[in-house]
Parts: sequence; C-alpha cells; structure tokens
Amino acid sequence: MANEDVQRTLEELSRNLQESKAWLEEAQRVAHLGYWVWDLETNHLIWSDETYRIFGLTPQEGLIDLDKVREMIHPDDREAVFRTAGEAVRSGARADCEHRLFRPNGEMRIVHSLGDLKKDSSGRPYQIFGTTQDITERKRAEEALKQSQFYLSEGQRLAHMGSWASKDLGIRWSHDLGIYWSDEVYKIYSLDPQNGPPSLEQYLAVIHPDDRASMAETIRTMHEQRCGCDVTKRIVRPDGEVRYVRCVGVPVFEDGVFKAFHGTTIDVTEHERLTQELRRERAYLTEAQGLTHIGSWAANFATMQNFHLSDETYRIHGFDPRQGPTPLERFWATLHPEDEPVVKATLENAIRTGTDYDIREFRIRRADDGQIRVLRTIGHRNPVGEIGEYVGITMDITELKRAEEERERLRQLEADLAHINRVNMMGELAAALAHEIRQPIAASITNANACLRWLARDPPDLERARAAASRIEQDGNRAADVISRLRSFYKKGTPPKRETVDIKEIIQEMTALFRTEALRHSVRIHSELHEERPHVLADGVQLQQVFMNLMLNAIEAMKDSGGELTITSRPNPEGQLVVSISDTGVGLSADSAERIFDAFHTTKPQGTGMGLAITRSIVEAHGGHVWATANQGAGATFHFTLPAKAEARA
Amino acid sequence: MKSAALPTVFIIDDDKGMRQAIEDLVESVGLRAETFASGEEFLSRRHISGPSCLVLDVRLPQMSGLDFQRRLTETGTQIPIIFITAHGDIPMSVRALKSGAVEFLTKPFRDQDLLDAIQQALQHDRAAQEQQAEIHDLRERYHTLTAREREVMALVVSGMLNKQIASEIGASEATVKIHRGNAMHKMQAASVVDLVRMADKLKLPPRQ
Repeated sequence: MANEDVQRTLEELSRNLQESKAWLEEAQRVAHLGYWVWDLETNHLIWSDETYRIFGLTPQEGLIDLDKVREMIHPDDREAVFRTAGEAVRSGARADCEHRLFRPNGEMRIVHSLGDLKKDSSGRPYQIFGTTQDITERKRAEEALKQSQFYLSEGQRLAHMGSWASKDLGIRWSHDLGIYWSDEVYKIYSLDPQNGPPSLEQYLAVIHPDDRASMAETIRTMHEQRCGCDVTKRIVRPDGEVRYVRCVGVPVFEDGVFKAFHGTTIDVTEHERLTQELRRERAYLTEAQGLTHIGSWAANFATMQNFHLSDETYRIHGFDPRQGPTPLERFWATLHPEDEPVVKATLENAIRTGTDYDIREFRIRRADDGQIRVLRTIGHRNPVGEIGEYVGITMDITELKRAEEERERLRQLEADLAHINRVNMMGELAAALAHEIRQPIAASITNANACLRWLARDPPDLERARAAASRIEQDGNRAADVISRLRSFYKKGTPPKRETVDIKEIIQEMTALFRTEALRHSVRIHSELHEERPHVLADGVQLQQVFMNLMLNAIEAMKDSGGELTITSRPNPEGQLVVSISDTGVGLSADSAERIFDAFHTTKPQGTGMGLAITRSIVEAHGGHVWATANQGAGATFHFTLPAKAEARA
Repeated sequence: MKSAALPTVFIIDDDKGMRQAIEDLVESVGLRAETFASGEEFLSRRHISGPSCLVLDVRLPQMSGLDFQRRLTETGTQIPIIFITAHGDIPMSVRALKSGAVEFLTKPFRDQDLLDAIQQALQHDRAAQEQQAEIHDLRERYHTLTAREREVMALVVSGMLNKQIASEIGASEATVKIHRGNAMHKMQAASVVDLVRMADKLKLPPRQ
C-alpha cells in the first residue's frame, strides 16, 4: 500500500507539478516575462522558455553562455547592465534595470530585468534569480503618448490656441462662469493660471469695450439655449495691448442629454490684421481698378475655367460682381460680332504658340445696358500653369478713345480755323481794300471826265487835259499798288521763305492797309524805328500777317475810344530785333496776358481766338518769341523778337 | 446888297487824288474851286462870299462828314452840302439828306450828276443868300422905326382900322395916321399888303 500509495502520490505530485509548470509557462508567455538563474560560481545561466523567446532564440534545455548574452545586449547598455548586477552582488540589493537587446534577426527589443541575490547559510552569494520582461510595446506606446502630448502642447503654443471646457452644467450666467482653461488660454488673455479661471465680471472686463456687450450677449445665449458659439472679439491685455481672439464652442450631448461645452480659444490677431490688410489692399485695388477702368483676371481659355475675375472685370463687361461667379462663356457672349473672329483667332494663336497677347482694340456690347464699349486686353501666359492658362488685364478704353478722337477733331478744327482765320482776315482785308481801290478808281473816272471836258472846250484846253490825263495814270498806279499788296496775302500753305525783309516797308504797307480802319475808329498810327531801314531775315508774307494781327488787335482795343497805335523797333542785347506794337486801348488783365496767345482764347464776342495763336506760331517759327505787357498808362503792348539779318545769316 | 462874287465850290476830301480830280472837273465848267484835306482846315480858312456849296467826303479823318455837317448847323453856317462817299449805305445817306444835304453821291459817280448837283446847290444857295440879304435889309429898316411906329405897324398888320388903333393905344386918329405914314415910308412899303408881307418875313409876332 505504502509503495502504491507513494507511487500514486508521486504520480499525482508529478502531474500537479507538470500542470503548474505548464501554467507557469503560460503565464510567462502571456506577460512576455521570463525568468533566469545566474550561477555566480560557474557563470552559467539557466533560462525559461519565455526568456529564450524574448531574446529571439529557440527554447532549449541546458545552459546558455554568459558571453553570448553579453553580446546580445545593446552595446550602449552592456556596461550599465553588468554594473547593476555587480552592485547587486556587492550590496545584496535587488538589481533593477531597463535595457535594449538585439535579437539574432537584428530586431531591437526593450526589456525590464529584475534580479535577487541568493546567499548560502554562510552568507556567501552563489546565485542571482531574476526575471526579464519584454516591455517594448509598452515603451513604444509611452513614447508615442509623450510625443503626442509634446506635439499638442507645442502645437497649442505655436498656434496660439488654447482649449477650454465647461464644468458640469455648462457656462453659467453668474459670478462663477464654471469653466476650465488650458494654459494657453491663460497665456492668450495674459492672465495668471495661479488665480484660476476668471469670474464673469473679470472675464468681461478684459473684453474690448466695443465688443463687451456682444460678448456678454453670446455668453448669456450659450447659458440659456445651450448652443455653441463662434465669435471673434477684441480683448485688452493688462499691458494695454489689443488682441483679436476667436472663441469656438460646441455643446456636447450624450444620448441626447446635454453634458458640457467644449471649445477652443485662438489668438487670431495676426490673422485678423492680415485679413484686414488684405481687405484694405483689395479695396484699394478695386478702387484703383474702378478709377482706371482696368479689371484683372486669371483663366484657362482651353478649359474655359476662370480662377479670378476682379469686380472691375465684371463691371467692364456689364455684369454685377455681387451676382456671384459668371461663366466665361457669358463674357465671350458680350463680344461684338464683328470683332469676335479677330479676338478668337488672336487668342487661339496665342494658346497654340504659348505666347502672350495684346488685343489693342475690340468692341463688346455691355451685358447690362447694351452699350458698345471699346476694350483692350493683355494676357500673359502662366508659365507654370497648364496649356491655355493666362493672367491679364482688360481695360475700358472707350473714353480714352473718345478723348483721342476729340483731340484729333480739335486739332483738325484748329487747322481749319487757322485757315478760316486767314479767310476771315481776307474778308476784312477785302472790305478795307475795296475802299482803297474805289478811291483811285473814282478819282480816275472824275479825272477822265474833266479831261474830256477840257478837250471839248472851244478851243480845247490841252494843257489842262494833259494834266488830267497824267493824274489818271497816277490813279491807275495807285489802284494797281493796292491790288499787289492784297495779292501777297492770298497764298496759302506755301513753305516759309527766308528773305531779307525791310520792316519799315512792311509797317508802311500795313499802315496803308489799315488807314481806313484806323480812321474810322479815330486811331492814329505812327512808328518809331531805331534805324532807317531795319532788316530781318524772314518770310515777308508771314511777317505781314504778324503785323496785321497785332495791328488789327490794337485797333480793335481802341475802337470805342480812339487813340494811338505806336510801332517801335530796337535791338536787344541778344542782337535780336524787338518790335513792339503799342495801343492806348482797354489794356489787358494780368490773367489774360498769360493765356492770350493760346489758341481759342478770346475776349471778343466774334473772335475765333486764333489770331494771336497764329502770330505766335509764325514768330516762333522764325526763332523769336512774342509776349504782351500792360502799359503804364492805358492799353497794352505786344512785343516780338526776330533774328536780325546779320545774326540769321551766321 | 447882292453879292457879285463868283460862285465857289469847296471840296473837302482826304484823298488828294480825288480832291484834285473834282477840283479840275469843277474848273472845267468854269466854276471856282477850293480844296481842303479836312473839315478843320475848311473851318480855319473859310471866307465864304458869294454863292457857294460844299462837296464833302463822308469818311474823313478825325471829324466825319456827318459830324462836320452837324457842326456847321450848330454854328449857323448855312451852306448846301453834296456828300460823296466811297462806300455809302442807305442809313447814312438818309441821315445826311435829313440834315439838309443836297445830294448824296457814291464814288465813282457820273461827272454830270456831280455837276448838276453843284449847279442846283449853288442856285439854292444863291436864292438863300438873296433872301437872307432881303431880310437883312428889312431888319435894318425896321430898326429905324420908333417904338410908337413899331406898335402902330404891328396893329396895322393885324388888320385894325385907324380908329380902332387910336382907341387901342389911347391917341387921336390923326396921330395914328402920322405914325402909320412914317412906318410905311421907313419900311419902303408900297401898300398895306406889302407891309404885311414884310412883317411876315421879319417874323413879327401878330397882335391879338
């Protein structure tokens, strides 16, 4: 019995032991924890199966070499591991260390090892029993968490963004707001975290006075309606700095039951300033575009996509920018049918060749009012974009075009008027000359009559008849002189000549020409010339015209009062001849002295304002200049310079 | 007292050629001519005796022909004026003629037209001068009358009988007769009708 019992007991014990061993094995496997025994005498190691697995080895019976283990430990950790072990042997304390190891396949694992020293009865250490746990996964998770926490706080700090949450029942409209703030929120408001979250009054006190009422209203609404918020308001920091802060909050519900608020607080000052700056820049740009009628755009003409169309681009084509995006096709539709083929051909050619383009002039029919407008558009190919991508401007050049045409028309008119002026002067001249011519003709007829009567006498008085006949000849010559004076004015558009002209001769001619006109207005004409015969190199006919204009002007100025017209000539230090034509008439204001030579400037109801302009152009063509001064007494004096003959030759 | 002086044509024109031509034409028909370049020159040299007329250019330096005409009228110089002009217009000629011009001719004119106008003007002037001379004569005679005689003459001219005149002036009829006789004699009136005509010419105010 005893043996059988013992045998049975032994079998049972053995079974139990096997069972325990299996459980131990299982426990080790689940916990990634193996045990080991280090014989200090022999330096031999005994490992459990799990320890082998942790080291990436196949479990085997028997002993493992310490040197092999040493090799598998991460070189950086080797010294520390054995130092810890040595420490344990010396002091008898538990060895505890974390270290890395390399499995034979090169994989690195992190393990946590513990070891207890065993001593014999005499107190001599003979063995260390220890465990090694593979903590790689845990270590990595810890590392990741630490990293992400670091990233989060760093991110909050960098983004000037803090987070907050309401305590239990949400935001309260009472002294205690009932919220948590993250550190960054304190930083944003420049408040001390030591003092805890602010009360409602404290919170509202930091809000900019202009935003305070609306912020209070937001908090009240959140409190009453349990609804979220997204507001940007200004705060005033203790040092007086104003910051823009955006606050976003959302209510959190669980199974339809309100739990709390959760939100972020972001310092958006830089963003807000940039936004405002951008908005201002954009407003300036829009304004500038509106003023200059230049719109900007960016589009892909191949795919008919538009990326950017400025407000002015819309308006130029007669669309309302407030109506939202308008497809490119609708812009095409405004093209004038006559210009469409040219515009399209230009564009297609530019797209094909990948070049810039400039369509200098084309017409559209504005979408809103149907008005025809003239546009110019310049497109620059986007070098980094797709085929057909262009950025450019479109400008409304209708007014410019109109102004150009108007200018051209005025220029033509000026030219016409210059001609008309001559023609008009010819008319006046003709009237004046008619009198001049009629006089000798009447005299010659009367002389002829007298002559006939002397001859008809009985006996004929031949002496008196001859005298009468010779007077007829004189009269005839006088008439011929007048005609030849007139003829020199008829030539239009002849190229300017330069010939030696006797100023005195011209003055005499002109005086004769205006004699009647002057008499009619009781104007006396006289001249004071610095030398007997002042000569200049000029176009005689044009010079006549200058004298004519200035003398007519002078007479005109005295037509109601009568007076004296004085013509003087003298050399100036530059060696030019200065001719002055002075009247005692109404004179001129300082203001009009400035503008008097401008084309179309006139003070006379019937004047064309061209006379003095022509005068100036003639004088300047001769290399001289013309100006006017007010006289000390009554009237005005017009002066002009002409190169003296000697100088002009040189 | 009739003037025996030769009729004279005064020519005022600023155009020397014209002046000479007219002078020659006038002289070719045996009239005397005198020329002046301006109205002022004429006024300063004037010594009109005998019938005369003025050939005047409308457009003159300083003083125009029309202004000159007005000036003559103002100074009481009566002389027929023939206007000549190189470019006359209707309003100007109307003005001239209204102010007493004899004729208004446009240069060049027919010589006969000018000479006819001159003749007409001289005749007119001669008649005017004669009338002027007669009135001058009558006025001198009238000046020789006493106050009483003038009074009586005025009453006679007004058609009163001697008796009525006597009672009017408070004198006897015989006295009236003497005054009346003296007046008739001094005025060299052949009849009462003659005396009435003289009083008319002298523009004596008629008695009520």
